[in-house]
Amino acid sequence: MKVKASYHRLDPTWCNGCGLFGVFDALKRAAVALAIEPEELVIVTGIGCHGRLNNYFRAYGFHGLHGRTMPVATGIKLVNPGLQVVAVSGDGDAYSIGLGHFLHALRKNVGLTYIVVDNRIYALTQGQASPTTDFGMVTMSTPVGSKDYPIDGPSLALAAGGTFIARGFSGEVAHLASLIERGMKHDGFALIDVLSPCVTHNKLNSYDWYKKHILHVEEVPGYSPRAKAKAWEALNDPEKIAVGLIYEEDKPSFEELVLPDREKPIASLDLKVDVPRLGKIMDGFR
Amino acid sequence: MLSNWPTPEALEWTSQDERSMIKDLAVMIAGKAGDGVLFTGNVLAKVLKRHGWEIVTSRDFPSNIRGESTCYTVRASLDKIYGLSDQVNILLAFDCEAILAHLPEIAANGIVFCDGQGMTTPPPEQTLGRTFHRFSLRALAREQFGQEIFKNVIALGALSYVLDLDASLLDGIISEMFLKRKGEEVVRKNVQAARFGYDKAREITAETERHPLAKKADDDQVLISGNEAIGLGALAAGCRYFAAYPICPATEIWQWLVHYLPGFGGAVVQTEDELAALNMTLGASFAGARAMTSTSGPGASLMMEAFSLAGMAEIPAVIAHVQRMGPATGMPTKSQQGDVLQWIFGSHGEFPRIVLAPGTVGECFELTVRAFNLADKYQCPVIILTELDMGQNFRTTRAFDFSGVRIERGKLLSTGELLGTADFKRYEITADGISPRSLPSWKNGVHLAESLEHDEKGYRDEDPLNRRRMMEKRMRKLDQASPDFCAPQVWGCQKAEVGFIGFGSTLGAILEAVEQLRAKSVPSRFLQLRTLWPFPAAEVRAFLAESRDIFVVEHNFSGELATLIKSQVSPCAELNNILNYSTLPFTPREIVEPVLRSRR
Repeated sequence: MKVKASYHRLDPTWCNGCGLFGVFDALKRAAVALAIEPEELVIVTGIGCHGRLNNYFRAYGFHGLHGRTMPVATGIKLVNPGLQVVAVSGDGDAYSIGLGHFLHALRKNVGLTYIVVDNRIYALTQGQASPTTDFGMVTMSTPVGSKDYPIDGPSLALAAGGTFIARGFSGEVAHLASLIERGMKHDGFALIDVLSPCVTHNKLNSYDWYKKHILHVEEVPGYSPRAKAKAWEALNDPEKIAVGLIYEEDKPSFEELVLPDREKPIASLDLKVDVPRLGKIMDGFR
Repeated sequence: MLSNWPTPEALEWTSQDERSMIKDLAVMIAGKAGDGVLFTGNVLAKVLKRHGWEIVTSRDFPSNIRGESTCYTVRASLDKIYGLSDQVNILLAFDCEAILAHLPEIAANGIVFCDGQGMTTPPPEQTLGRTFHRFSLRALAREQFGQEIFKNVIALGALSYVLDLDASLLDGIISEMFLKRKGEEVVRKNVQAARFGYDKAREITAETERHPLAKKADDDQVLISGNEAIGLGALAAGCRYFAAYPICPATEIWQWLVHYLPGFGGAVVQTEDELAALNMTLGASFAGARAMTSTSGPGASLMMEAFSLAGMAEIPAVIAHVQRMGPATGMPTKSQQGDVLQWIFGSHGEFPRIVLAPGTVGECFELTVRAFNLADKYQCPVIILTELDMGQNFRTTRAFDFSGVRIERGKLLSTGELLGTADFKRYEITADGISPRSLPSWKNGVHLAESLEHDEKGYRDEDPLNRRRMMEKRMRKLDQASPDFCAPQVWGCQKAEVGFIGFGSTLGAILEAVEQLRAKSVPSRFLQLRTLWPFPAAEVRAFLAESRDIFVVEHNFSGELATLIKSQVSPCAELNNILNYSTLPFTPREIVEPVLRSRR
């Protein structure tokens, strides 16, 4: 029996009201729901305010380089597919410096849960425009308003062949936790994009602003996350930001395709030197 | 372990004159990319190897699939050889252009076969004893066998005649190559074409032109490239995860491993770029695999970021870097030694790293095995630095000794040990700087692999005192490590005024130069560095003290090794550079001449 305290290492020191508190709580709730041992959970983070998560969450962790969560998490998952590997990034980490890695891990359908905490700003570096910052928004790096059109992670994921695409809101922790839980259970790559206010550097996209703009797809009559066209429509709604499980499909995971035997993880192979077998390979060079 | 090559004392040098008694010979196949030069050269090398001869091959090819000039040299010797000689004895050219390009290299009694419309014998003052034969390989292949592609096997048959090789050896290799993939009929036709080439050569050459080679017992030899040897070393060392992005000239390591790793329970993953390749290697290693990546110039630059992460988070990683010509995209199919300082001083911040530089294919295997043990023991990145010349060319060596391979995982705890640990600290400050490791899923071992400065448990810590202690802990890991490294090897004469220093695949040309100088009564010695970092300062200092004229031989423009020596040995003797930044590897002559000039 696990409780949230099983995963609690330290009280976070994010700014009061930061959306990351909701993500922290939701991740713990999902772990409790799935009764994951802290030792069986690996959290891989990138660089940004979200990257502090590893300090607060009790589990194995890897806090690597800016934008590189995906390859690190892929390496871990393939070597020990029994682990629950959750990667956490910010919008800069996932959709700017790490965009290439994100799309490739997604297209490989590696069994990772990828939580992208999108606050539409570079917060740790004190408020520059990010790839999801609204067009025209004034930030530290865009004093006359951003001239870049924002990109949308879930839309990219849908176009690139994602097999589990969800969006949550850090102001709705229980809902977010259920999405993370479902993502963890998904055999393949699960993207959970999280609308997450930065109360210090982004005064525009506040909790109230999000509450006014989100639309729960599960409340849309006839919506099915199995229908790609509907998912596309929901993501392209000009008025509303779709949240919920937007799209899901079954496809073999990368581990299933490339590992000789998922029951015999690479991490615990006996590396004993098989002299006769290697000798036979050597004979090919005679 | 490190005993695959003969000791310097065991090397009996032969003089150039004795060599002309066909104890040593080089055959060049030349043509255009797409002509089958590679196939023909590879088969010839294998035939000669099975004849019992020592082999070194060298390819000069464009970064292009078809149409541009390419050549393949096979040097064979009864003695142990590591590099090419200065001469080519037989040139088999698929077009006339190749003759003009390579005429200066053809030995005085050399023989040239050429398939070309414009083929005429050069004027006598240019032939200097060489004989020239028009050999219409393409036309003959079409006439006799219906397809031009048979020209390669016809050429091989002809060479078998000229070299007086046992024809059954060629037949055997043809059968090995084609039987499984293409069936009996293809084998039969190719054997026929080889016979045809053999007879044709007898028809067009005089008996006196033959360069008969003695057959010798094979003596447990294999013919292998540096890249394959690294792959085999990785497999033997327990590497079970390999991630890489395609790049010339390193890809063969991966292309070789991809056939074997799954059978050993491992995985090979093609990544989207080299940033991912090294980060993925680190993820896999963190989770417990012996993991590796390989790359070359531009890829190595992309890896610099994660290289630093491996240093900070203390994650074992093995990176094979097969150097090619830079800067930028440079010349992807040409060899160079221009990326040495990048790995020794490169990336942001300061952290321990180990750079190994094999000089023979045997060392490619042995140092790769060692690289994995060093990476685990010192929990840091280990670079195996080679060059295209070593990586892609084939050399004979004694079959590798797998029974000598030991897998040493350093302070990686067992799950039992971990359970008995009261307060596990992944980055515990220890006397030797090396801390215990646990793996994800292990009870009692929860920790954070952290790229930020961290405390002993891996959690972010910006305390000034902690920073100092952590820097000192990491940086002292290699302080006592020297017994684990491959010490430099001294080759050549016991006492000599002339001393060469070098590393990697220049070894072959340097040893040839040592021999040629000895024949001219100039004794010399060669200090081969096999570990470039941590720098073997004591051995280099001693060698400098014992030599009068020092020549640092490098395949680069600025003398990176000499720069390194000067930075690590102080005061430092005067170093003369012998540098080559051309597209071709060193010839022995290019090393001998500056030495002789300096003594005039």
